[in-house]
Amino acid sequence: MPGAFGAERLIVHPDTASDTVTSDLVRSLFTMRLRRWPNGAPARVFVLPDRNPVHRNFAKKVLGVFPHQLRRSWDRAVFSGTGQAPIEVKDEKQMLDRVANTPGAVGYVSGEKGGERVQFISLD
Amino acid sequence: MCRVKRGANVYSSFHWIRRLVLACLLSLPGMSALGDADASGDEFSWPADLQIHGFLSQGFVKTSDNRFFGPSDDGSWDFREIAVNASYRMQPDLLFSGQLLSRKAGEMYDGSPRLDYGLVDYTLIMRGDLQAGFRLGRLKNPLGFYNDTRDVPFTRPSIFLPQSIYFDRVRNLVLSSDGGGVYSNMLSDWGDFYFQLNIGRLDVDKNVEYAFLLTDWPGELETDDPWFTGRLMYEWDGGRVRLAASGATGELNYKPGVNDFLQAGTVDIDYWILSAQYNEESWSLTAEWMNEPVSWSHFGNLVGLNNGTAEGWYVQGAYRPFEAWELVLRYDVSYLSKSDRSGERASQVLNTPAHNFYAKDLTFGVRWDVTSEFMLRAEYHRIEGGSWLSVRENDPQTMEKNWDMFSILASYRF
Repeated sequence: MPGAFGAERLIVHPDTASDTVTSDLVRSLFTMRLRRWPNGAPARVFVLPDRNPVHRNFAKKVLGVFPHQLRRSWDRAVFSGTGQAPIEVKDEKQMLDRVANTPGAVGYVSGEKGGERVQFISLD
Repeated sequence: MCRVKRGANVYSSFHWIRRLVLACLLSLPGMSALGDADASGDEFSWPADLQIHGFLSQGFVKTSDNRFFGPSDDGSWDFREIAVNASYRMQPDLLFSGQLLSRKAGEMYDGSPRLDYGLVDYTLIMRGDLQAGFRLGRLKNPLGFYNDTRDVPFTRPSIFLPQSIYFDRVRNLVLSSDGGGVYSNMLSDWGDFYFQLNIGRLDVDKNVEYAFLLTDWPGELETDDPWFTGRLMYEWDGGRVRLAASGATGELNYKPGVNDFLQAGTVDIDYWILSAQYNEESWSLTAEWMNEPVSWSHFGNLVGLNNGTAEGWYVQGAYRPFEAWELVLRYDVSYLSKSDRSGERASQVLNTPAHNFYAKDLTFGVRWDVTSEFMLRAEYHRIEGGSWLSVRENDPQTMEKNWDMFSILASYRF
């Protein structure tokens, strides 16, 4: 249950149906290999910059992947034509704004502050 | 332009480059139509699903003796890589992508732009634990850990890839396939499995002819039948352990030219790589081993084309002492024939020095990611032998046995 105790929380657009997701699903979303939700709605992945501590913790604790490996898998997809990169936002405030306003969005923040407009979900 | 601005990806701080390319694309009739589709309020808005990326890279190479990527014995700036790519995700399961690449590498590659890949990717199965689909077009070949993005400086472990396996002198042989391919990703409690298989023709260039037929002949070397290239990768614990087996197999067919001394013939090539990597947050250990059985049939009685198996392996450690810094140490060994590792027998047949048939390269490198877009690298190689040097840049009779190489590289990405 890595997501349950870490400070980093997954957030999604309020219209996203499920309250919980599997760790495989989250990892496939953030490696950009899964591009829609189980209900068929297109998924939009938002991330913080590689060096942001919240990003580093999220990658390690929630995804179980080192940040340098996440970067490598995005770069490989982008530069071999087999996939796309996630959308990078500059800070947690912008993360909340974009996830709240983009249907199908998924992202993460470090606390619950300002989280009224998004939906928090946990790993099952 | 407001549409471009709104949709601009926040992936890098240099939005203007992407806007410029987007503006160019918008001026194309087909792309304008896509833009209109967005205005009508489709679920997938545009250009959020259009991404433009690329890179520019300039290297400098200085060798004590022998030439690599230009007249490096005097110091060479003839190492430049420029690429721009676009990808458009029309639906969650449908992707179009393409990349133009210009690569100047001494006498081997002249920098003329080339379609690096251009493909359509359709995902048939898309679940959290399983994705599978197919691709059509020009596909990058999945070989070892690095071949699919071998020309992207940020994805390489060093300025030059280990030459025992990722030979730059015959890079095009395994670079990409023109045809089709299938792929699947499977996540499980015991680890993740990634499979790719490409079937298609290769883009054979003069470097391949120099490497397998020793010089530039009047005729043409082509691939009559499709090649098979594939990789099965296993990752445990989110990639802490990565293991892969990959390979390519096929034939090169020689069509003699006018007044050609060389007769028609076939080169049969297999190319197998085993790869292993262990990752921690601040360090990684990587090793790969390659075997390449090559056999020549017909060609008349050209001396020197003896069947054999080339072999290469390396062990590499990478250490990240602080954020944005990485140190790399690698030992890389190459034999053109594993039954003649000293090169003595080949030396007698071809009357060139024995050290032309193997190479041992000790590399020390440093990488500094100044920003997430800008990278600087420097590395030093201590080398014995010249098996991976190109005869387009070096006279086989005068290649030095012991030499060293220093290189720096600056790269910018967007």
